[in-house]
Amino acid sequence: MSILVANGLTHWFGHEIALESIDLAIDAGEHMAVLGENGAGKTTLLRILATAARPTSGGLEIMGLDALRERKRLRRRIGFVAHAPGLYPALSAKENLEFFCTLQGVARERVAETLALVGLGQVASRPAGQLSRGMQQRLAIGRAILHDPKLLVLDEPDASLGSDGPELLEAVMHDRTVVLATHDHALANRLCRRTLVLRHGRSVGTATRLHIVQ
Amino acid sequence: MNKYEKAALGAVALMLLAAGAIFLYAPTDALQGSVQRIFYLHVSSAIAAYGCFAVVLLGSIIYLRNGSLAADRLARAGALVGLVFTTVTLVMGMLWAKPIWGTFWAWDARLTSTLVLWILYAGYLLVRRLAEPGRQAARFAAVVGIFGFIDVPVVHFSVTWWRTQHPGPVIVNDALPPEMLATFLFTMACTLALAASLIAIRYRIETLADGPVPAVAEKASAITSNEPEPVR
Amino acid sequence: MTNSIAIALAVARKDLTAEWRTRELLPALAQFVVLALVIANFGFQIDSHNAPSIAPGVLWMALVFAGLVAFGRAFAAEREQASLEAMLMTPASPVAIFAGKALAATLLLIGCEAVLLPALALFFGTPLSAPIVAAVLLATIGMAALGCLFSAMVARIRARELLLPLLTLPLWIPFIVAGGQAVQVAMGAGGSYDQALALLVDFDILFVVLTSLAARFVLDE
Repeated sequence: MSILVANGLTHWFGHEIALESIDLAIDAGEHMAVLGENGAGKTTLLRILATAARPTSGGLEIMGLDALRERKRLRRRIGFVAHAPGLYPALSAKENLEFFCTLQGVARERVAETLALVGLGQVASRPAGQLSRGMQQRLAIGRAILHDPKLLVLDEPDASLGSDGPELLEAVMHDRTVVLATHDHALANRLCRRTLVLRHGRSVGTATRLHIVQ
Repeated sequence: MNKYEKAALGAVALMLLAAGAIFLYAPTDALQGSVQRIFYLHVSSAIAAYGCFAVVLLGSIIYLRNGSLAADRLARAGALVGLVFTTVTLVMGMLWAKPIWGTFWAWDARLTSTLVLWILYAGYLLVRRLAEPGRQAARFAAVVGIFGFIDVPVVHFSVTWWRTQHPGPVIVNDALPPEMLATFLFTMACTLALAASLIAIRYRIETLADGPVPAVAEKASAITSNEPEPVR
Repeated sequence: MTNSIAIALAVARKDLTAEWRTRELLPALAQFVVLALVIANFGFQIDSHNAPSIAPGVLWMALVFAGLVAFGRAFAAEREQASLEAMLMTPASPVAIFAGKALAATLLLIGCEAVLLPALALFFGTPLSAPIVAAVLLATIGMAALGCLFSAMVARIRARELLLPLLTLPLWIPFIVAGGQAVQVAMGAGGSYDQALALLVDFDILFVVLTSLAARFVLDE
């Protein structure tokens, strides 16, 4: 049964069209990759699916709720890793997560296990601003799963994650419905059963275990 | 000739009639002489400006409550037209002040709050221009529109203890000669009609400016629906 | 409700902790207001006779521009770090987040006032009395509410450096008028201190209520 149903998602930036009539249905527990060139509309689509942005037109239903109206309720169940990590550089990794525990309304016990899961247990007390780019990305991923979301929306999370990135993503994506945007076709094939390809804001098609030869 | 051209023509004709009444019918003021004739349009355009900003306030509140695009366009139209009338009020007021008070400007409650009014709605239009078009621009501008309308009486009230040079409301409590009163009421009616037709025309322009986005979006979805459905 | 208060306090503590560790804003603000007093000295030819009449104006000018910087930074920093969206993506109420940001920015500006008021008393020979402090603090509350609302707005708009003062200054005028009146009276001018203070309280209530109603529309996408 579909956990996410999108109908004709269209987004305009002024008079530029960024996303054109995207239809989607994603099953519970399914992992879907979104591929496309820069500017193809991946980020716009993911932001809409994560309820961070509203489409200009079109409908979106997530977990049986109208995603354009019930954003607050849905956000308890959605985790979003945006393009930028969005961390507080002066706060430690642990403090960053603790702060978001308060905002999410979840117990602080989650912090230690989340840090361990994303491999930051050793640097928990280091300021986020002094972490490497990859570690910051790990911390952002950790923040997105603090509240144990059922749906995870990942915008190019593999950027600078390092050699064990795929394993980390696998662990994080386990047991969740995931939409993952990436440039890395091999990663998409490894992590996701289905792939959606965007070009100029339009869906070019989807495939299962896609092998793209360009 | 469409109805907007008719409205524009009617408003211009009314304003010419008002000008006739001001210069030919109304008597010359005993104290101030001919310069007093500024009064008619000065006060009328101030009232028209307040009316326009009330339209902005109303449109903004309705937009924030139910997201009505029509209310937002009305607010946009009201802000621009209101800003024009505020400018007219300020300029005519200064022209009148120079011969009578001996200075173009005085920092009294009414002048100050009118100037603040002008600045606030100029800010409103700036927000409209700089924010991301669509929902964000409409929401942000609506907030500015509401705060602007509320701030003006507050500014006025807070500066009332300053020396007041501007005369009070002469129309209600002063014995304005009947010819002057008639001229004023006629001018005010004409000015309000002008403001209304300007708002209507501007509303039409805003509608046309908004137009392409939904229209093209419909066309675009029609094209893609001919293609095989991409996803189950 | 208790949850919202906890969130607001967490947001404020987060901002103040970050400021304490980096000491980015407060030292610069303090230096800025002292400099403003020095510049005023050259602009006005201050002596012991005219100081009491000029000092209130200088105080409010310095405070207004320090406030623009303090409130502007409150949301500009979140924008630069792209962290505002992460906060807004949680189920936490946008109004609680806004209140927390405003609280932290207000405390920072009060920290700046703790330098400005003694410096003014020192350089201008004016009294540093409880009525002056009360008027400045009361004005700070309403100015912070408005300043943070429009700071949150312009953080999401282009050309924000320009737009923040354009939107905020006209709305601050009532506070500057009433606060200015109160400080003038406290420094020896004629007039009613109580009336000015009562007005400040009224304006505070009006604009704090209005901004908390409007915050939702500014912060929620």
